Amino acid sequence: MIDADPATRSTSGAEPASVPSRQSHSREVAAKRWIAQHGDTLWKFALARTKSKEATEEIVQETVLAAMQGFESFAGGSSESTWLLGIAAHKIADHFRRVRRARSPSSPAISPDATCVCATCRGMFTEKGMWACVASKWPDIGLGDGEKAEQAEALRACIDALPPGQSEAVWLRDILGVPATEVCKAMGLTDTNLWSRMHRARVALRSCLETKFGLRKEKRQ
Amino acid sequence: MIRFVRDMVQVLKMPCREHVVLFSRQFDAPLSGGEAFGLRVHIVYCGGCRRFRDHLRHLQSLGRTLAEQAEIEPGLPAEVRERLNARVAQAAKKN
Repeated sequence: MIDADPATRSTSGAEPASVPSRQSHSREVAAKRWIAQHGDTLWKFALARTKSKEATEEIVQETVLAAMQGFESFAGGSSESTWLLGIAAHKIADHFRRVRRARSPSSPAISPDATCVCATCRGMFTEKGMWACVASKWPDIGLGDGEKAEQAEALRACIDALPPGQSEAVWLRDILGVPATEVCKAMGLTDTNLWSRMHRARVALRSCLETKFGLRKEKRQ
Repeated sequence: MIRFVRDMVQVLKMPCREHVVLFSRQFDAPLSGGEAFGLRVHIVYCGGCRRFRDHLRHLQSLGRTLAEQAEIEPGLPAEVRERLNARVAQAAKKN
C-alpha cells in the first residue's frame, strides 16, 4: 500500500527528514511542468469566471497545490489537462460559495428545480407531462456582437448562481467543450449522472436567462 | 431496422417532459437513429419542444461566445508564474 503522507516515510529511517523525499521532488517537478504546460489554460479558465486577477491567482495556486497532494491518485483515466481543470472547477465553486456567503448569507443559489418563470403556471409541464405554457421566443440568435456579448454576460451570471456541482459541469462541458467522458472522469460521475446534471443545469439556465431577458411565457396550451 | 422503429415509436409516445431530457442528452451523447428521428418528427407538430430545442441551441451559442472571451484573456502573467513556482518549491520542501 502506498503511504499517502511523505513526511511519515521520511521519518521511518529511509531518508533524513531535512532532505526532500524522492516523492516530493517528483511532485515538484510535475507541478512545475503543469504550470508551464497548463498554466495559461487554468489562468484563462479561472479569470473568465471570476474576472478578478487576485482571486484567479489564488485559485490557480490552490489547484496546483491540491494536484500535488493528489498526484498519486491521478490514474490517468482522463487527460492531465482535464484533471487539472476539474480541480480548478472545484476551487472556483468554493470561491463562489465563499463570495455568496459573504455577500448575503441567506441568498439562495438557483434551485435545481427552478424550471419555470411563467407568471401563471407552476411548472414547465402539466401532470400528464405536456407543456403547461408556451415558452417565449428569445431575442434573435443572429444578433450583433455587442448584444451577444451582453447575453453571454447574462449567461455567466446565471451559471455562477447554479449549485456548485452543476456550474462546474456546465463550464467544462458547454463552455470549454471538454468531452463528456473526460468530464465524467474528472468529476467522478457516471454517464447518467452527468446527463441528468447537465439537463437540470440547462433547464435552470434557460429559466434564469428568460428572467434576465424579461420574458414571460404567454399562454397555456 | 426493428430497433430503429421501436426507438422511434417509443419517442413518439413519450410526453414532452421526457422529450426535453433527450434534447439535452443529445449534446452529451449520441441518440440512437430511431430516437433522433422520433424527435425530429415530434418537433414538426410540437411548438413547445421546438422552442425548447431552439433555446438549448441558443445557450450553446452563448457558451461559445463565453469560451471565445476566455481565449481572449491573456495567459498566465510572468510574475504570477514565478510566484507559483516558488510556492510549489516551498510546498515540496515542507513535505
